[in-house]
Amino acid sequence: MQQYILRRILLNLLVIYFVATLVFLLLRIDTDYVVTQRAGQTSVAESGSSQDSTEAAKALVRKDLGLDKPILKQYWIYLKDIAQGDLGESFQAKDDVMSEIGNRLGPSLELGLLQVIVALVIAVPIGIVSAIRQDSIVDYVLRFVSIAFLGIPVFVLAVFVLLGSARWLHYTPPLTTYKDLFPFPPFSTGRGVDIWMNLQIMFMPAIVGGLGTGAIIMRFLRSQMLEVMRQDYVRTAWAKGLRERVIIMRHALKNALIPVLTVVGLLLGTIVSGNVILETIFGIPGIGLWVVNAISNLDYPVVQGVVLVVAVTLVFVNLMVDIAYAWLDPRIRYG
Amino acid sequence: MQAEDQPAQPAVIAAPREWTLPKRPSVAANIWKFTRRKPLGAFGMLIVITMLAMTLGTPKASFGAPDLPSRPLGFELGKPWLARYDAEAIFRNVDTGRIARYNKPSTDHWLGTDKGGRDTYSRMVFAARRSLFIGLWALMFATVIGTAVGVVSAYFRGWFDTIIQRIMDSFQAFPALLILILLVSLRPPSLTILAFGLGFVGVTSVQRIVRGVVLSTREQPFVEAARVIGATDLRTMVFHILPNIMAPIIVVFSIGLGAVILAEAALAFIAPQRVPQDPSWGIMLQQTRAYLPPEAEGYHTLAAGGAIVLAVLGFNLAGDALRDVLDPRLRVG
Repeated sequence: MQQYILRRILLNLLVIYFVATLVFLLLRIDTDYVVTQRAGQTSVAESGSSQDSTEAAKALVRKDLGLDKPILKQYWIYLKDIAQGDLGESFQAKDDVMSEIGNRLGPSLELGLLQVIVALVIAVPIGIVSAIRQDSIVDYVLRFVSIAFLGIPVFVLAVFVLLGSARWLHYTPPLTTYKDLFPFPPFSTGRGVDIWMNLQIMFMPAIVGGLGTGAIIMRFLRSQMLEVMRQDYVRTAWAKGLRERVIIMRHALKNALIPVLTVVGLLLGTIVSGNVILETIFGIPGIGLWVVNAISNLDYPVVQGVVLVVAVTLVFVNLMVDIAYAWLDPRIRYG
Repeated sequence: MQAEDQPAQPAVIAAPREWTLPKRPSVAANIWKFTRRKPLGAFGMLIVITMLAMTLGTPKASFGAPDLPSRPLGFELGKPWLARYDAEAIFRNVDTGRIARYNKPSTDHWLGTDKGGRDTYSRMVFAARRSLFIGLWALMFATVIGTAVGVVSAYFRGWFDTIIQRIMDSFQAFPALLILILLVSLRPPSLTILAFGLGFVGVTSVQRIVRGVVLSTREQPFVEAARVIGATDLRTMVFHILPNIMAPIIVVFSIGLGAVILAEAALAFIAPQRVPQDPSWGIMLQQTRAYLPPEAEGYHTLAAGGAIVLAVLGFNLAGDALRDVLDPRLRVG
């Protein structure tokens, strides 16, 4: 097992190296365009349209991005900085990207966790009922609802919910910055966490996101339950004369949940990147909103840093899920 | 003696009972059978056909390299037959002479008009062309590259396979949506680039499925036979393995289309300023969210959101049914 984990970690490092290289190459597809755009944004204030000043602005941007050096040297510096955990500083606010990511991780993680909780609260009871009353009217209705939520993309649902509440309830969630929403470290502002504000902001996106995620979990749990309920040991439990509740909750559900938990883990990993949509629509000051704004401001250090951090999270969450799987289900062995 | 007992052989052999070939079921009967067996799949097919019909328009005689969205197939397509007006036509109210902003649905404008006084229904129909052709080009790219990578990787196995799969893993670790937003912001806005980007993201999942299928196909006797008669690796892959994995490829293609259309709409919704403006479901949806027009009555939102939901649903249902018919054991996604 230890050997397996070690091997996986080494492979993950290789994957992260590939991701870093790809980001590096991606940012150098068309440097001229990038530099022109960037120079256009920075030099609007001070320069007229004289050729000299735009050339000067371009040269400045090239120097900022480190594009004036030979490409292999750029690559070397880039890799060295990443290895040292230095993601540079953002163009717009001149903040250290690494610490900014830390600041904004709070709201993103909270949203992700709430989403998974909502999904589980909805999906687990529905999945169980749907499985033990297979092919009944209840089952058909629940399955239809889950297919419907599986089919509606999260951004369409979010827009409908937001517009609906604005139109008929005359209510929209408040907007705020991460400093108010989720001071990091907690209580650093001295005001503490405003829980009411926090809930108001997280309520809608958590439910909208949770419905989509819940539909996936529910379908998976249902098929797992159906499989487990046909196992011999469940029949034995019936034969012993146990109550239905005990059989389902203690005997069947425990085993059906193991594969479901891995799906939840994987979803948790993708949620970091998937929340870009929810955060943008509901204005949640997390990583997703930040990076979308950074892209429209052509703030490349931020984009580069966030992509790397998300990729790292993703591969290591996957590893954790695999380890947790082996821990929960001792029958599984990794060779 | 015995021969005499038997009745004499008749001089002319009696004509055998008339042979009737089993009647080949008509196309209509086949469609009916499919509909009976897979009602949801048939519903999906109906949506897909409707969407195809939305893209049809009178072709114009201007040939050249394919370009999205104006020349999706190398020649220009005119106004879709199903659209009533041109996408950019601006209407004015007859009585006031002002631009008809946010009109309610009427016989002239089935789904009302938008902020700029343009017909929402016509724009919705126009947008189908963009979605579908971006999807088709992206999937074409993803399928061709993904199949090639998957077949080669599974055929040679060993360390070669390991390296390819690790590279694919790193693609998978990419936050796809972020990369796509980044990609469209790194270059002058172009839908062709966007289509390639979407296809690139799809390569990993296509190759994973194809690789799985090839891993089992390459152990079958006909591949061994091909090797025995001295077929080269290339020949084995192209003429023996490839024709035998067509069914999964078709299924992956049809299910992938739904995913790509969804991704394109999401991208246009999140970063509209980076994606060229022309009728697009994602951008239509984004506009209503951004301004919350009081008089729009939500028709604009409903048209755009409904179109996205139906299109994705249609391709998924059709793909699922196709999977059940062509290759029931295939696990997709």
